[in-house]
Amino acid sequence: VPPQHLLLVGLSHHTAPLSVRERLAFPSAEVPQVLGDVLKRVGLAEAMLVSTCNRVEMYASAESPQEAVRGLREYFGALAHQEDLASHLYEHTGAAVARHAFRVASSLDSLVVGEPQILGQVKDAFTLASEAGTMGVVLGRCMNRAFAVAKRVRSETGIAAGAVSVSSIAVDLARSIFGELTGRRVVLVGAGEMSEGAAKALAQQGTLLSVVNRNQERARTVALACGGEARDWDQLSQELTLADVVITSTASPRYVITRDLMQGVIKARRHRPLFLIDIAVPRDVDPRVENMDNVFLFDIDDLEQVASQNIAARKREAEQAERIVEAEVLAFEEWQRSLDLTPTLVALRERVRSVVHGELQRTLPRLKSLSEAERKSLDVMCDAMVNKLLHRPLTELKKSREEPDGSALLESVRRLFELAEVQTTPESAEPAEPAKPANPALLPTRRTSGEHT
Amino acid sequence: MMAGWVSLCFVLASVAYAGASVAYFLFIGNGSERASTWALRLVGAAALLHIAFLIGDSERHVQLGDVRQMFTVGSLVIVLGHLIAQQRYGRLAVLGAFVTPVALLMFLAAGLGHSVPDVPEDVRSALLPAHVFVNVLGVAAFTLAFAVATAYLIQEHLLRRRQLSGLFTRLPPLDVLDSLGLKLLLIGFPLFTIGTVSGAIWAVQLPTRISPTQFLGLLGWCVFAAVLLLRVAAGWQGRRAAIGTLLGFACALAVVVGYALRAKTGAM
Repeated sequence: VPPQHLLLVGLSHHTAPLSVRERLAFPSAEVPQVLGDVLKRVGLAEAMLVSTCNRVEMYASAESPQEAVRGLREYFGALAHQEDLASHLYEHTGAAVARHAFRVASSLDSLVVGEPQILGQVKDAFTLASEAGTMGVVLGRCMNRAFAVAKRVRSETGIAAGAVSVSSIAVDLARSIFGELTGRRVVLVGAGEMSEGAAKALAQQGTLLSVVNRNQERARTVALACGGEARDWDQLSQELTLADVVITSTASPRYVITRDLMQGVIKARRHRPLFLIDIAVPRDVDPRVENMDNVFLFDIDDLEQVASQNIAARKREAEQAERIVEAEVLAFEEWQRSLDLTPTLVALRERVRSVVHGELQRTLPRLKSLSEAERKSLDVMCDAMVNKLLHRPLTELKKSREEPDGSALLESVRRLFELAEVQTTPESAEPAEPAKPANPALLPTRRTSGEHT
Repeated sequence: MMAGWVSLCFVLASVAYAGASVAYFLFIGNGSERASTWALRLVGAAALLHIAFLIGDSERHVQLGDVRQMFTVGSLVIVLGHLIAQQRYGRLAVLGAFVTPVALLMFLAAGLGHSVPDVPEDVRSALLPAHVFVNVLGVAAFTLAFAVATAYLIQEHLLRRRQLSGLFTRLPPLDVLDSLGLKLLLIGFPLFTIGTVSGAIWAVQLPTRISPTQFLGLLGWCVFAAVLLLRVAAGWQGRRAAIGTLLGFACALAVVVGYALRAKTGAM
């Protein structure tokens, strides 16, 4: 297997509008076939396809990344039937692929930073590629690190803390007032789209829902969609008395829940807390209601203010997350260099050893007077020479792994000792033991050989 | 004098409580998980040392009427009560910031007060130990109720002011605080009632007039009775109930301080 380099070609909400993204979106049922296809046609060693509504990205590894990137661009272009697709596509190679994968999995590249779905979507893509047999060691390691980085980012930063949508803010606020929401009564007054979303989110927490709307037909439709019951408009005050959470979104130009109405309701409720969410514009609830005991009123401005605060907080946390990503990219690069290094170390030792022992074998037939023991001594001496000669180069090479431009030294060694054909196979990633001499007891150990002789 | 190891336990427990109070305040301030973990560790260590001190100290004070020892028991009940509540309801770690300093003050009062012949021999009664014991348990419950009510008022203030990050996210939901406060009153009030009644029976046998401490105790009882009545009968909930609890606790605390001073001066 020739050395494999990571690469990535794709587009996302940063570079392409929906009209372009939807042309390239792949249903997950088609992904295995696409992966097999792309492997053959573009000449990739590994491939994984992430396809969500916000991004389509092909992660891959190949012997020649530049060629593979060109091939993938053509492949995508042909699939999308779009002339100017190239301007929407971005590409990465090498460590930048790992950085991108880590950022995507950690939801740093998402439309809503910190949203949790993307990690699951990348994991699904990984599973599909594994099942299709297009996941190997290099890409596999990269993606597994991406999952670990996402976990770290999640636990070490507050990137996912604080709700940012009206529905989830409504749920969060209701929880901070009532705690457990199971069995709490939610009343929807009016039936706009946003209030429907909030009602659904609350229903998922096990609340009981009733819908009060002037238009009975609409009330029934919404109640059916959210799993609640429709009520007549004249039951409003009765429903308000029973409710724990009220969401209003009528198109009424005047207050629907007036202070007078609420004063009667409050009396009947006997101080039970009431959470009012007014997402109508113009407002449905008289703002003076907020001053009543145990009544908590949030209007659309309040909710949006909470959202923007949380978004700002997530941005601050994202900076911390980026630092985690950078540290992990460095660690990944080091692992990759160790992949390049180990086969070279083995090959270098083999090369020098074969030269020295080759010469010995050619000379031995002329030294007929030597006893068996003396021949062995010569053998041992050759091994010792190899060890002593290579001690310093091997140490330096190993040290270079920690240096940022360490690959230059590796390249030089390969050229000097004609190791160009040495292949960095992921399978030989384990550090190989040097060839053992015939009788180890006669030899100083590898580590001390440089100091002894 | 106290044995060496008993004194050592006292000092170490006090230091641990003080450290825990600081850690709890740090946790309130910045939500650092490390502060919360350390607070819990320190409180746990302090409680163990506290128990050791109680055992060592009780060798000298066997009778239940000793005010000092009751303070030791009371502060321990407060701390253990908070730990149990934290375990059961979660998100109550913040309350440690209110509970632990109160427990520390009671504990210090117990340890630093003179070893008093606390009640003159001639006014001793069989009722006295029971009176002190139930009162201390009642005060412990009210201390926890006070912490819960304080947390409620802070949380409600933050919600109304739309300050929904930071401390707001570390405090429990309003309704949880409210119902926990009610439970603690329901536990504390009967104990406090028995304490007050037994105190009154004992007091009428004395020739002296009613002391300010006893008056405050009675006032505290009335406040708690009113709060409970309004909660149960009129459905009071939330802010008003929390403020009522604070008032009642202020009276109960004044009684405790009164007794602590009496223990120090030996006066009635």
